[in-house]
Formats: sequence, structure tokens, C-alpha cells
Amino acid sequence: MTVDVQYYVLLSMAVFCIGLFGVLTRRNALLFLMSVELMLNAANINLIAFAFYHGNLTGQLFALFTMALAAAEVAVGLGIILVLYRNFRDIDVTVPTTMRW
Amino acid sequence: MAATATGPFGFAPAIAVLPLVAFVVTLLFGKHLPKKGALPGIIATAGSLLISLVMFVAVGGGNAYHTTLYEWTAGAAASETGADGVAFTFGVLIDPLSALMLVIVSLVALLVHVFSLGYMNAEGETGLPRYYAELGLFTFSMLAFVFADNLLMAFMFFELVGLCSYLLIGFWFRTESAPSAAKKAFLVTRFGDYFFLIGVVAIAATFGTVGFAGEGSFVTAAETAIDDGATLFGFDAQTWVTITGLLVLGGVLGKSAQFPFHTWLPDAMEGPTTVSALIHAATMVAAGVYLVARMFGYYALSPTALSIIAFVGGFTALFAATMGVVKDDVKQVLAYSTISQYGYMMLGLGVGGYVAGVFHLLNHAFFKALLFLGAGAVIVLMHHEQNMWKMGGLKDKAPVTYYTFLAGALALAGIVPFSGFWSKDEVLFDALIIGLEQPVILAAYAMGLVAVFFTGFYTFRMVFLTFHGEPRSETAEDPHPVGWAIKVPLIVLGILATVTGLVNMAPVAKLLNVDITFLEFWLDGEYGYVEGLTYHAYHETVAFEEGVIGGSETTTMLLSAGLSLGLALAGAFTAHTLYNVPEPTRHMQKLGGAYSLLRNNYYQDEYQVWLAQGFTLPLARAADRFDQTVIDGIVNGTSTVSLFSSNWVKRIQTGIVTNYAALLVGGFIALLLVLGYLGGWFA
Repeated sequence: MTVDVQYYVLLSMAVFCIGLFGVLTRRNALLFLMSVELMLNAANINLIAFAFYHGNLTGQLFALFTMALAAAEVAVGLGIILVLYRNFRDIDVTVPTTMRW
Repeated sequence: MAATATGPFGFAPAIAVLPLVAFVVTLLFGKHLPKKGALPGIIATAGSLLISLVMFVAVGGGNAYHTTLYEWTAGAAASETGADGVAFTFGVLIDPLSALMLVIVSLVALLVHVFSLGYMNAEGETGLPRYYAELGLFTFSMLAFVFADNLLMAFMFFELVGLCSYLLIGFWFRTESAPSAAKKAFLVTRFGDYFFLIGVVAIAATFGTVGFAGEGSFVTAAETAIDDGATLFGFDAQTWVTITGLLVLGGVLGKSAQFPFHTWLPDAMEGPTTVSALIHAATMVAAGVYLVARMFGYYALSPTALSIIAFVGGFTALFAATMGVVKDDVKQVLAYSTISQYGYMMLGLGVGGYVAGVFHLLNHAFFKALLFLGAGAVIVLMHHEQNMWKMGGLKDKAPVTYYTFLAGALALAGIVPFSGFWSKDEVLFDALIIGLEQPVILAAYAMGLVAVFFTGFYTFRMVFLTFHGEPRSETAEDPHPVGWAIKVPLIVLGILATVTGLVNMAPVAKLLNVDITFLEFWLDGEYGYVEGLTYHAYHETVAFEEGVIGGSETTTMLLSAGLSLGLALAGAFTAHTLYNVPEPTRHMQKLGGAYSLLRNNYYQDEYQVWLAQGFTLPLARAADRFDQTVIDGIVNGTSTVSLFSSNWVKRIQTGIVTNYAALLVGGFIALLLVLGYLGGWFA
């Protein structure tokens, strides 16, 4: 028994929207990072679902790349959060607003 | 035959390069050289003269030389006559005309260099290395201009000649008048050169070539175009040739100081007298007329252009001669005589008298260099006094200067058998025979003829005031002695001014029926020549009818010669009566209104100043205002608007990551909606 591809797309969209909502509303940098992870994984779901649908391995391969990329991104993101904490004694993303005009 | 054998012609570029080397050497090491840098110049011009003479002999031996030395650039061109490529090159063209001119220029330059030893060095001038360096550059430019084989190269060196004359006229830059005169010379000639440049571009664009000689010359191309009845840039081919020819003529009128661009030349007397000699006899001013002779085949195609040349020449001859009559400064008289004599050359060339024009150019080079150097000697004698009313009686105290100056004066006045007579007579004869069929030319001839009287008059007024009578100042009673460096050039030129006329005694040849018109043979390819650049070829192209008086050419010729000689003698005699007295008085002031008109040079300077201040300046002001308000307004307005709007727009850059994310998402959604709308989702 296989699930139709549109359900995967719906799932992916839901996960993406949850991530997006998190990015737009959360102030805690860690939660912010997690939300970004959600969005990335939403994309992964899509890739794998369509790869399966087309019987083609390229999408799965790309999903692997994305996961590696996400790991690197988390490393960089955590580094930024550490520096943020060191400078501001806080990890609220709305506090550091010096990088503007 | 039009041989292209190299032989001695391989040295041709050296003629110009030697003075250039002298220029560099003098410029760099002049201060440390003996004679303040005069020697490199003398050696270089002597070398140039030597090589020029070799060229002259080689051309006499039946050869000619035409080669391309260096190609600047070549490319495809969409020319009107269908030539599909155009090349801009440096080349050498040694034909009878350029060989002759090379000898004249290098000889006069050499003599001027030698004379400078006496005129500049002995007088303890400062800045002599600069003077000699500029003299070298001047000679280089003129020599390279003379052997140029194409119009673009000619234009470049034409400009360089102008620059050098600017530098030399302004040699005494600490005075107030010299820099101003230099600027005036530069600007007035530049105004003419502007048209010349357009002419060069027009000719290159029309014919796809700027060469003077051979199959690939613009002259040949123009001839073909006229024969084929081609239409060039919407004009009939002949009209277009006239237009481009007249554009080039702009440069000629500026350089050769023809009306209305003559105003710079009298002011150019601010330069050292040696420079005046060089400018007037062989370089700057001669360049204009030489250019007309060089591309005579082109002008020959257009009777309209020729008539304009002839008329301007005749008019200038008379116009300048009348102004020369009232001048007090010996150099001023000579300046106006130069303008007038170049008018004769233009008249000669304009009536198709190629030989006559070149003949007068040759004679004038010698006698005018002589007169200027003579005037220089007089100025040395008089301790730098130039006013003729303070001279007098120099005849016995400086016999060499007097007799050589007299030879020059007789040649200038056109009195037989001195050189000026033969050439001026030939110019006037050529003008007369054409004039009998063409009213415009007849008017030009009449003006030229009347000018003969004035020429005789002002020339001898100058001679009598300077050398005859009683000394009218202390310096005139006890003149400063002059050395060999002054005397030798005067003697050489004195002899030349007396005898050069003998090379083309056309009236004698016709009367006695002997072949002694050597210059005509020379220019007509009896010796070496380049195909198409002969008097013969030009004569066939010129479309003027010739007429005679009394049914015979001999009668016409005798009448013409008699008239011009008679008028010259009448002028000289009038001067003799009025001024060859122990205590001459200022007779010219009796002319009243005419005197002040002439004294003020027909208010030509005033009208040109008015043109500059009353017309050009307001125009420039209006243009400036347009630039400042409209153009700058648009530019400044654009920047103000963008500054103002960006001041607002920058506020969306809050520094809060969440806002950026929101903007990204909002933007993406907006893009999606727009694309969806355009893609027909909501239809």
C-alpha cells in the first residue's frame, strides 16, 4: 500500500509553515534555529517524496546533501548563538540591532 | 619616369629626423653645450640641407620616391566611393615639389640658425637652449610636413608647426605682449585648422584614402567620382570636392595668414626677428600655400574652389599691401608684405598657375628671409630699436646690410631682374589670361596689380627711411657693429634673392623662343616625377579658359609684364620722391581718415574682438547657463531624489532578523501572486 504523493506534499507544507511561523514569531535564537531546521526538513520530505514518485534516486541523494548542509548550518548557527550570548548575556534575536543603517 | 628605386632616397626620413635629434639634444643638454645649444641645430640643419640637396639631385636624375614608413592603423571603412578599407600611415613622398621645398626649408633654417648666433647669442639673451630646441622642433615639423605623403600626416605636422610658432612667438614670455601675440597666433590659426580637420575627416570618409599621390590617392578617387557622375553625401561629386577643398582651405588661410585670418601675423612680430624670418620665409606661413600646391590636383577639379582661392589671394595682396604703407616699425612693414606676397601665391595657384605660385613661394622664401634677417641686422645695429623714424643714414655705416637688404627690397618690389619680378609677373600674367574670360579672376588680377604699386611704395619707403637720409637718433649715428654670423647669411640670401628669378624667366623664354623655363620643366616632370603630380596633369584638369589681348600671347605677356614693372617702379619712385630726402616727414598722416583706417588695420582686430566678446562670449554664457541649470539640474535632481527616497527606504533595514524574514516571505508571496496572476490563475 502506497500513500499518494499529495499527502507528502501536504505534510511537507505543514512542516514548512510551522517552521516559518517559528521563524517569524520566536525570539529565542535556539528556537529560531530549530524552526529553520523544520523548514529544511520540509524540503527534504518533498525531495524524497518526489524521488519515490518518479522512481529516481536523485532526490534522495539531494536529501542526503541537505542533511549534511543542515548539520554544518547548525554548527555555524550554534557558534553565532554562543557569541550572541557572550556579547549580550541573552539569546533574544531582537536585541542585537546594530547591523543596520 | 616614376621610379621607386630607393638608392639615396632611403635617407629621406633623416632630413626631418636630424633636427628632431637636435631638438632632443639641445633640450636635455643645451645648458652645457658651447654656444648655448646652437651647434646641434646648425649641424642638424646643415645635414638636412645636404640630404635635401642629394634628394634634389636624385629627382633631377629622373627619380622620385614614394613609400610608406609606418602604418598607424588600418581598417574597414564604409566610404562613399566604395573603397572598403582606409589606412592611416606615415610616408615619404619625394617629388619635384617636395624636393624643392625641402631644399628651401633646410637652407633657410640653416641660415636662421647661423644668424641666431649673431642675433641671440651675441646679444646675451637668456633661455637660449629653449630657443634652439624650439627652432629644431620647428624645422623638424616643417620638413616632415613637406615630405608627408598623405593628408593626415600633413595635418599632424601642420599642427606641430603651429605649436612651435606659438612657442617661439612667445619666446620672451616675461613681456606682456609676446605671450598675448603667441596666443593670438595659436588661436587664429587653430580656428582655421578646425575646418582643416573636418576636411581631412570628410575626405577620408568620402574616398577611403588620404594619400596625395598614386592610384590610391584621394585626388584620383575624386577625379573618378566626378567622371562617373557619382553622388557623394547627397551632393554632386564636384560640389562635394569643392566643399571638402574649401574646408581644407580653412587651415591654409589660417596658416598663410590670408584674409580674414591674417590678424595673427603682424602680432607675431613679438617673437625674435630670426623666428619671424623662419616663420615667414620657409615654415609656418609657407605651410599653407605649400599644402595647396601639394594637393593642387584636388583643387584643380573644382573651378569654384580655385576662383575662391584666387579671389581671396588677390584681395589679401591688396588689402595687406595698403596696411603696410603706414607702419612705422620695420618688422610690421615686412609682416604686411608677407601677407600680401602670400596673397600673390594664392592668386597664382588659384588661377591654375601652379608653376607661378610655386615660383613665387621659392623666390619669396629667399627674399623674405633676407629682408627679415636684414631687419634683424638693422635691429642689432640700432640697439633693438625698430621704429624706422629713429633710423636713417645706415647706408654708409653698414654697407653689407644695406646692399643685401636692397637686393631683397628690389626682389620684393618686383623690379627686373631681381627674383620677385619674374615670379610676380608670372602670377599676374597667369591671372590676366584667365581673367580675360572670368570676371571674378579679372577682379582678383586687378587687385593684385594695384597691390604691385603699393608693394613698390612701402618697400622703398622702408628702405629710404631705414638706410637713407640723415641719422635721426643717436644710435643711428653710431650703430652697433654686426659680426660674420649676421653677414654671411645675409650675403648668401642676397645672392639667392638676386638670381633665383633666373630659373624661370618665362617672358624671356617666350620672346627669344628658348627653353630656359627650368622651374616649369622641373615641376612638369622633365626630370623625376610622380604620376599625376605634374604641372601638365594639373593643367589638363583645370577647367579655365584662357584669353589673350590683341590676339597674341606675346603682346599680352609684354603688356602684363610692362604694367606690373611700371607700377612697381612708380611705387618705388613715389617713395623716392617722398622719403629719399635728408629729413623725411610723415606724409602718410595727410591721408586723414584713410590714414587712421589703415593705421588701425581696417579695424580687423576690433571686429574680431567684437566677434569674440560680443557674439561668442554671450553664446558661451548662454551655453554655460544651459549647462549649469538644465543639464546640472537634471543630474543634481536625480541625485537629490534618490538621496531623499533612499533616506526613507533605508528604514526598512531594522537590524531585527525576524523583520527580514518577514520581508522575505512577504516578497516571495507577492512574487508568487504576481506570477500567478500573469500566468492566469485567477482568470
